[in-house]
Amino acid sequence: VSAIAFDLRALVDDSQVIDAPGELHTYAYDASFLTQLAPRAPDAVVIARSTDDVSAVMRYANERRIPVTPRGAASGQAAGSVALEGGIVLAMNAMNRILEIDAPNMQAFCEPGVVHAQLNEKLAPHGLIFPPDPGSSRMATVGGMASTNAHGMRAVKYGPTSAWVLGLEVVLPDGQVIETGSVGSRAKQSSAGLELTKLIVGSEGTLGVVTRLRLKLMAIPPARAIVLGLFDVLERAGEAVQAVFGAGVSPSAIEILDERCIRAINLYRPAMQLPSVEALILFEVDGNPPGVKWDAERIVSVISGLAVRAEWSDEPARINALWEARSLVGAAVGTLRPGSNRAYCGEDICVPVSRIPETLRAIQDISAKHSIPIATYGHIGGGGLHPGHLIDGRSASEIERVLRVADEIHQLALRMGGTTTGEHGVGAARAAYMPAEHGPALDVMRRLKRALDPNGIMNPGVIFDVPNLPFELPLNAPVGEPATAAIDPG
Amino acid sequence: LNADPNLTLRAFRPTNASLEAEYNNMLACIRCGLCLTSCPTYVLTMHEAEGPRGRVGMARALAEGHLEVTPDLVEHELNCLVCDACSAVCPAGVHMDPLQVELRAALAASGRPSFVQRLVRWFVFAWLFMAISRLRLVVRAIWVYERSGLQWLARRSGLLRIVGLAEIEAVLPRVDGHFLVPRDERSGDGAPAAFFAGCIMSTALAEIDRATWRVLQRAGYGSCNPARQGCCGALHAHSGDLERAKELAKRNIVAFERSEGAIVVNSAGCGAMLKDYAHHFRHDPEWSSRAAEFSARVRDLSEVVVDRLPPLTEGTPRKVVYQDACHLLHAQRISRQPREILKRIPGLELVEIAEAGLCCGSAGVYNVTNPTQSRQLQRRKVDSILAVSPDLVVTANPGCLLQLRAGLGDRVPVKHIAEVLDE
Repeated sequence: VSAIAFDLRALVDDSQVIDAPGELHTYAYDASFLTQLAPRAPDAVVIARSTDDVSAVMRYANERRIPVTPRGAASGQAAGSVALEGGIVLAMNAMNRILEIDAPNMQAFCEPGVVHAQLNEKLAPHGLIFPPDPGSSRMATVGGMASTNAHGMRAVKYGPTSAWVLGLEVVLPDGQVIETGSVGSRAKQSSAGLELTKLIVGSEGTLGVVTRLRLKLMAIPPARAIVLGLFDVLERAGEAVQAVFGAGVSPSAIEILDERCIRAINLYRPAMQLPSVEALILFEVDGNPPGVKWDAERIVSVISGLAVRAEWSDEPARINALWEARSLVGAAVGTLRPGSNRAYCGEDICVPVSRIPETLRAIQDISAKHSIPIATYGHIGGGGLHPGHLIDGRSASEIERVLRVADEIHQLALRMGGTTTGEHGVGAARAAYMPAEHGPALDVMRRLKRALDPNGIMNPGVIFDVPNLPFELPLNAPVGEPATAAIDPG
Repeated sequence: LNADPNLTLRAFRPTNASLEAEYNNMLACIRCGLCLTSCPTYVLTMHEAEGPRGRVGMARALAEGHLEVTPDLVEHELNCLVCDACSAVCPAGVHMDPLQVELRAALAASGRPSFVQRLVRWFVFAWLFMAISRLRLVVRAIWVYERSGLQWLARRSGLLRIVGLAEIEAVLPRVDGHFLVPRDERSGDGAPAAFFAGCIMSTALAEIDRATWRVLQRAGYGSCNPARQGCCGALHAHSGDLERAKELAKRNIVAFERSEGAIVVNSAGCGAMLKDYAHHFRHDPEWSSRAAEFSARVRDLSEVVVDRLPPLTEGTPRKVVYQDACHLLHAQRISRQPREILKRIPGLELVEIAEAGLCCGSAGVYNVTNPTQSRQLQRRKVDSILAVSPDLVVTANPGCLLQLRAGLGDRVPVKHIAEVLDE
């Protein structure tokens, strides 16, 4: 029994403290490839059941200077919820109650462990929806979404999670509990003081622990339609998106899938029978039924000169099937090469919309250079791209090459005038790029961090500092031929 | 920082030979977490080690030598119901059933069971389920117990509670005294089909087997009932005794090689296992093709009768819940056919329940090995069922049938789909 676990048992119920070796290992990773390479089990896990639990653990950890890492579903792909410095993992997934649905004020109050899709299922009978919609809707928790400022497919119209969080209950590193967005308020807007809600959203558990969220909701749009555009030349897909924006249509989602993704979907859902083209774009429009029809027809007419095929549908079954395929393609690309699996690294760049075709070509070049197959999909309307790398984990050479691929993709994004993470967050995986990405602004972030967490116990190794890993990222060895000689063949 | 300037990235590889066969299956898990909310034990506990991602993670760490066999690891792995709900939703293609079979065999080999545990295991796996004649003997004894007044006495005296058998005893079916013994008999001369009679089904629930036999006849099949068939081996495989499971599998493969047409099963758990013979023998040069041929012929009852049953003209109005057996819904991905069959019965209104895909807690012998979780899941399922106030619950697996009957008591009757079709 670790000393930390012994102490924690005095603060919360025995059943909430985990310290057996097998159990701890299951908290040693998230979906990032980085934590497959370097899993790190915490010293103890606390399954939080209440704000009081969190507050008690934070007070204790702050006094003892023990690192604390909050964790939701650990579906993140950036090693943002793994205790890379050891210490305590605060599992927030069991705090999963929807406390109130205030339909007249279009707000929901919930705990951070509520799974996104389950929230929207509960809101649906009220005719309401929480619009941010990550592809990971069926696993991600709203707490995790807030902590990474997740965007999702409909962010192009509805914006990121931060636009839909009105207030938060936050336990600060010293155990103090605060409420952001005005105490007890149900107002939908406010100009009162600094927007602490927006400071906490996206801070990836480095400033405090979110224990309750006040979310803004909207009415479910009465109609939806989807336009399917097939392009035999990548550049034309990029032009089509710009043409649609120029035509005065605001699609609720614009998603691109490259040829490899199309193949992956056809393997995972053979009934879909998508044709093989260089790029496929899904435009979704929503709103009132006549408006949706007008929008869909307008998109078809605008892109038909560029696409080899353009068609629209408002059949719910067709729309759902296409969205399901789109949301699962990330994990399904692993089926493309038998014996290979998806490695989540360099998976979340965002570039200016005008430079997407160029970026996609560059990603293909990186793929060819390192002989690592990459299937790319993403939110082309906002510039977000998710390159999906396939590797055989039994090959040390492929592991090394995919890390180089990830680094080159991150560098590419910055060169294109973009960012290394469009919506998944920095975590430990991208911390090394923050100086290049933010310049002196990173130092301002660090000062804010120190002001709130003077002892540096909250999720160390994420965003602000270089994480504690058994190897250095990005890899420093010269890039070129697969450098098998530099690798321990294991 | 403890970064190594010389960069040592190691390839992923198994160091534990007994887990090598399923290592690719473990590597396929990219830890996206989509499986979590589908897992009954995760939903009950919200504990990562009680979810599929955690179980695969522990198995992989064990295979790679990063974890040792510790009591917590064994407990969480054995708490898995092997309901395959996670496999059904996994976009990366992880398959939990064979992973658990392999892992449990390795854990059983490394464990040090007590004398009593060894005795129970020997009785159940080496003696009882290895020869159907012995099972018949035991079921006959239960029949005598139920009919002679002994049961009445045991229940009234509180003896069952004193010896800690009250829970298990409550799940005992009302045993049918007239067993179905496969003797190569045939019925009619329609399309050929071979009937897999099962062990519990052909003894304790023999009337369901006879109903199945009649339903097949009505659907135009000329069925045969191959002699020398036996238990499918699922109980053994899921309890870490893969060797005996394979021995039973070989007997079934041989017994059915003399028959033609689909091998029809009315028990979802057996069906899933029979379809997995191909996987379990894939590396066996002598048996792989015979096992593959066998598995390719296996069909659930609902699959073979859905398009062949003559329409019924009358029926009583009733509200029916069809409770998916996990080994039909998740393991065999069969959900449409049984519903279609039921919907065609005049007067029958099919209603769906909340958390329809969540296991009822039966899961083979899980209700005996893990009574606490089993009871929690049973209660959850019963609540979901009662919330829609049905007149009847229909299922397609003996385990679910007995678990739901025990849970629902006399509030709602529970029938096997073959019984409903045979009415």
